[in-house]
Amino acid sequence: MDSDKIKDLLERYWNCETTLEEEQWLRDFFNSNEVPQSLQQEAQLFQYLKQQQNVKLSDLNFEQKLKQKLQPKEGKVRSLLMTGMKLAAGISVVVASFWLVRQELNKEQPEEVVDTYNDPQKAFEETKRALQLISKNFGKAQKASTNINLINEATEKLQKENKKADS
Amino acid sequence: MNFETFQERVLPVKNKLYRFALRLTGSQEEAKDVVQEVFIRVWNGRDQMQEIQNMEAWCMRITRNLSLDRVRSMNRKQAQPLEESYNVRHEELTPHETTELHESMNRVSQLMAALPEKQRQVMHLRDVEGYSYNEICDLLALDMNQVKVNLFRARNAVREKLMQLNAYGL
Repeated sequence: MDSDKIKDLLERYWNCETTLEEEQWLRDFFNSNEVPQSLQQEAQLFQYLKQQQNVKLSDLNFEQKLKQKLQPKEGKVRSLLMTGMKLAAGISVVVASFWLVRQELNKEQPEEVVDTYNDPQKAFEETKRALQLISKNFGKAQKASTNINLINEATEKLQKENKKADS
Repeated sequence: MNFETFQERVLPVKNKLYRFALRLTGSQEEAKDVVQEVFIRVWNGRDQMQEIQNMEAWCMRITRNLSLDRVRSMNRKQAQPLEESYNVRHEELTPHETTELHESMNRVSQLMAALPEKQRQVMHLRDVEGYSYNEICDLLALDMNQVKVNLFRARNAVREKLMQLNAYGL
């Protein structure tokens, strides 16, 4: 294309009368190596526009990151699981500390009296036996105390007689 | 819609969305965030997607709204120079020519960034993405006259600035 036609096309471009195809042709033309010196000024704009058409989102991880944001199902399940586990850990700590404190308190207090027999008959017989043992021992003690009483009485008699003899 | 369908039907527009978001926010990081958020919204609204005729246009509109929200909340001027690497393939260029080309790309980038918001959007959609006037009307909710006026002003503002810069021998 001769330079007059290009100038005419450019004029129509500035007046917004060109078609999309003609505009793409201009961008391609000014990016070729045959740009006349007189059109170097315009060339800058069309070179820039053509270059801008090739700008790309050059982030290799973009789609991967996006996928993670769009499909957070796995993440959700994992975070729910984590929350559940944290909750369980918290509860077990509280329960364990309660149990330990109770253990400590039980050690300090004397053990409560607890029932040792389940059968009332057996319990009754055992109680009877225990009481009989006590009464038997009481009987022994009574015999021994009568001997002591004899000595006491004898001592009192002797003292009375000694007083009479003095008077 | 499962993720595989989403990957086939929606994800391929990511570069278009990224370029548009980058044009509006002027920051690569912000633009990436915007694109991600657009996809999250599309994914969450995938049940209504059967009713949506033009998926790409829908995505572009969300990108525009989110980008403009960010620009407003950042409350910073958009006209920041875009420090990019310009991978223009001219294999026979000397290092000097490569530097020169890089500088001229930077200059045009700054000129476009300095355009008023609407002009910048219209020029990007037409001259970079190759949308028809009708599609731009639909995307930006403007009438045909407004689209053409904005495009005319944008192209001619860049042209004038370029002429001025070159006249000073830059």
